[in-house]
Amino acid sequence: MVHVEINESGCRGCRMCVDICPTEVFEFDEPARKARVRESEDCIGCLSCSYLCPSKSITHSDFPVVKNFYRDLQFCRKKEAFL
Amino acid sequence: MSETDSLRSDLLEAMNFLGAMAAGLEEALGDPSKSISYLAGEKLGLQFSSGANRVDDLQDALQEVSSILYKNHCLWAFEPFKKKSEKEMVHLSQEGEEIMLVFRDCMIRQSLFCYGHPQKGSLCNMMFGFFSGALKNITGYSSRLEIVHAGENACYKRLTLFRKQNPLPA
Ligand code: SF4
Ligand code: SF4
Repeated sequence: MVHVEINESGCRGCRMCVDICPTEVFEFDEPARKARVRESEDCIGCLSCSYLCPSKSITHSDFPVVKNFYRDLQFCRKKEAFL
Repeated sequence: MSETDSLRSDLLEAMNFLGAMAAGLEEALGDPSKSISYLAGEKLGLQFSSGANRVDDLQDALQEVSSILYKNHCLWAFEPFKKKSEKEMVHLSQEGEEIMLVFRDCMIRQSLFCYGHPQKGSLCNMMFGFFSGALKNITGYSSRLEIVHAGENACYKRLTLFRKQNPLPA
């Protein structure tokens, strides 16, 4: 199951994670002006929030990582051993 | 070169070619390019599922689509999703039945990312066509696959099966 965490001290309160998340994992704490994790279990591991977060304050664990394509076949072969 | 390496490199080349074609079509034709890739996907879906069993339950039908993709070496892994607060996977809507799907390993997304092409374009529409064709054969109903969110590592889509329309002829 995916686990999401926000490093509270790094959060700038921009709300980008709240706006982008398709499954409403986050909520915004108005008095504190910070984003909070509402329901980690609803995370699908799309990684859009951590890609967008300007402070890189969002981390995920236990999520499936897609198997990327590589142009370099030698590199591709090395990666194959770990798939 | 091992068999996996060779399959992977063939898939990469084919998908990159398709990605470049789709990007070119989008630039030249605009929105109509989506219909072209929809029809191509639908044809593929109908073709691959021609011998499939007719199934009524939506989740069983999706399982059937999954195994068709697997048998035909298509890297389009998906799974049904519901939020923790929801009881059922399948919801009833005005049009029929709805289910949310998460797509993880997707050969389209991966080839788009290779060259920085945007998501939600005509090639993504090909997947809508594929599901539509396959589900027509499997359930006898038409369907729609909407992209709710296109992410870096997974995409989130809504599948609607139009049960409230008359079933299509077998
Ligand atoms: S995107 Fe990052 S900085 Fe912005 S509200 Fe979310 S956690 Fe805070
Ligand atoms: S990875 Fe996607 S689903 Fe998960 S919290 Fe971030 S935006 Fe939401």
